[in-house]
Amino acid sequence: MLKTKGLGLGAMVVLGALATAAFAQEKPVAGEVKEGSLKGKTLTLVSFGGIYQDGQVAALKEFVDKSGVTLLNDGPTEIAKLQAQVESGNVTWDVVDTADFPPYVYCGKLFQKLDFSKLDISHIPEGQVSDCSVPAMNYGVVLMYNTEKYKDNPPKTWADFFDTAKFPGVRGIDGSGDFTGGLLEQALKVGGGDPKAMTVADIDKAIDVVRKLGPDTIYWKTGAESQQLAESGEADMLMMWTGRAMTAVKNGAKYAPAWQDWLVVMDQMTIPVGVKDTDAAYALLNAYLGKQSQEVLTQTTSYTPINNEAQPKVDASVAAFLTNTPERQKQGVKQNIKFWVENFQVAQEKWSALMAGN
Amino acid sequence: MSASEPTTQPAAEGRAGWAWRPYALTLPALILLAAVIGYPLLTIVLRSLSEPEWGVQNYVWFFGAPINLTVLQRTFAISAWVTLVCVVCAYPYAYLMTAVGPRVRLMLVLCVLIPFWVSGVVRTLSWVILLQDSGVINSLLRSVGFSGVRLIRTQTGVVIGMAQVLLPFMILPLYSVMKGIDLRLMRAAESLGARPSRAFFTVYLPLSLPGVYAGAMIVFILALGFYITPALLGGPRSTMLSTLVQNQVLSLLQWGRGGAMGVVLLVATFVLLALAAPVMRSRHREAGRR
Repeated sequence: MLKTKGLGLGAMVVLGALATAAFAQEKPVAGEVKEGSLKGKTLTLVSFGGIYQDGQVAALKEFVDKSGVTLLNDGPTEIAKLQAQVESGNVTWDVVDTADFPPYVYCGKLFQKLDFSKLDISHIPEGQVSDCSVPAMNYGVVLMYNTEKYKDNPPKTWADFFDTAKFPGVRGIDGSGDFTGGLLEQALKVGGGDPKAMTVADIDKAIDVVRKLGPDTIYWKTGAESQQLAESGEADMLMMWTGRAMTAVKNGAKYAPAWQDWLVVMDQMTIPVGVKDTDAAYALLNAYLGKQSQEVLTQTTSYTPINNEAQPKVDASVAAFLTNTPERQKQGVKQNIKFWVENFQVAQEKWSALMAGN
Repeated sequence: MSASEPTTQPAAEGRAGWAWRPYALTLPALILLAAVIGYPLLTIVLRSLSEPEWGVQNYVWFFGAPINLTVLQRTFAISAWVTLVCVVCAYPYAYLMTAVGPRVRLMLVLCVLIPFWVSGVVRTLSWVILLQDSGVINSLLRSVGFSGVRLIRTQTGVVIGMAQVLLPFMILPLYSVMKGIDLRLMRAAESLGARPSRAFFTVYLPLSLPGVYAGAMIVFILALGFYITPALLGGPRSTMLSTLVQNQVLSLLQWGRGGAMGVVLLVATFVLLALAAPVMRSRHREAGRR
């Protein structure tokens, strides 16, 4: 009864006989879906639009073709909208791509606790799966500096970023919405605290360090703006998402990354509480985690894949900003997710006060 | 501009049942208003008082956090500046529209309306290109010897951008009032010995004031709720209240607090308009005297 017609397809070759065995036990294999299993069904993927969501759709093309599902797109992800859907009992978002914190903050309330017997998470890099989420992709927040301005004496760490005496110049910081825990941890280190043993009082300490950068500091509102700041040379040091940093450099910005202590961040894939067809949503997630899907995702978006077997074919400029090489893995710093999730409200309020000119 | 007076209805109709008819015609509009404004507004007020529990906690929070009051005050200040800039720019423009022939007038109207049809986001991003440190305006300023003029991410930049977006709302009411002013009145004043400036200030200006008030009110009220323009052209020191509301609701899911902020802004606006109304009304009558 279990048909495996698509065996010749790329992803299946690698898995080979193993897949057949797995099917017998009904154990999911990342990237696979049963032929025609979702015919007549509709799934809505919610993400952040643009080239990123286009890439996600491209990554899911094989899943859509094979399962027969109709894939709809919506977005951008807004937790408030999801909350309204969950509370009114009319959830139309089946799979939702979120930023780092929401699946932790609203686990069990807005996002379902995942049943990992329905997902193959064996190829996801360590420490990236939570009770309510699997990673959607990896990227980094990296310190980019103007190579013409700093020439032979470039900044090397976040300590240099916060040192306007030794490194004069305009700074650009992510002011697009939520605070970045990793940046505040680096700021706290400069302010004389220990990110590993953070307290609520340390949040103020960290924000003070950011505030001391002064009124010339640019808080960019969108990734596109950060890219534009680099390309026009308006900022001398920028906190940037790796995807935008890569594009800026590709477009000729005279900027280079300081990789030491780059901040590990990721988008997450979640299933909201109250979706109409949970199994279909799981099927989508499981397909998304597959090797071939992740290769397509990276090739179309330049974000780092979250399947450690994925071998995307990308050019050197993209490869330079992938974050999953052994060297980058050593340089990266993971934020203290537990602390930030526990203190999300208070940290976000203090951060937004800074963003409002306080 | 004022509500129509039912007493002006011809009484000859005789049947009492006719009196309510004009009101019945407003029913569709009333139903629409109740559905798209009344109900959501009521929901906001209720949520501001009921989330997370019943009480005035959200209002206590609002007035207890200095940042909220700073931003509220800033929101009114920026809106006032925008209104002033709009009046100064729109007045001569609207006057010109009344003074030229039909073909030039059409051109002038199009100049107002075409940007009005372009999305606010596009226009704001155009301002980013113009105002940024390496932008057109700064290059011009640099070539004549002024360097390092900060326009983007300042309140000045926000006021410039918002004034441009809102200018049509000032020009159109002004024009509609000005075109009804009989220009022969000016000639009459001059024939009685008034210098042109005197004729303008004692005759034309008072007659045009209803248009100024109407336009200023629309611009000011729309400016209070601006979100995109201050977000893209401004920096932390030009954040307006709508950004804080957005943060409370979308980022923190504090619908109650967001609602309270909206209610505070609304009430503050009503209070301000109530204070301004007597001035406007007296001038209105004066101007309306023929």
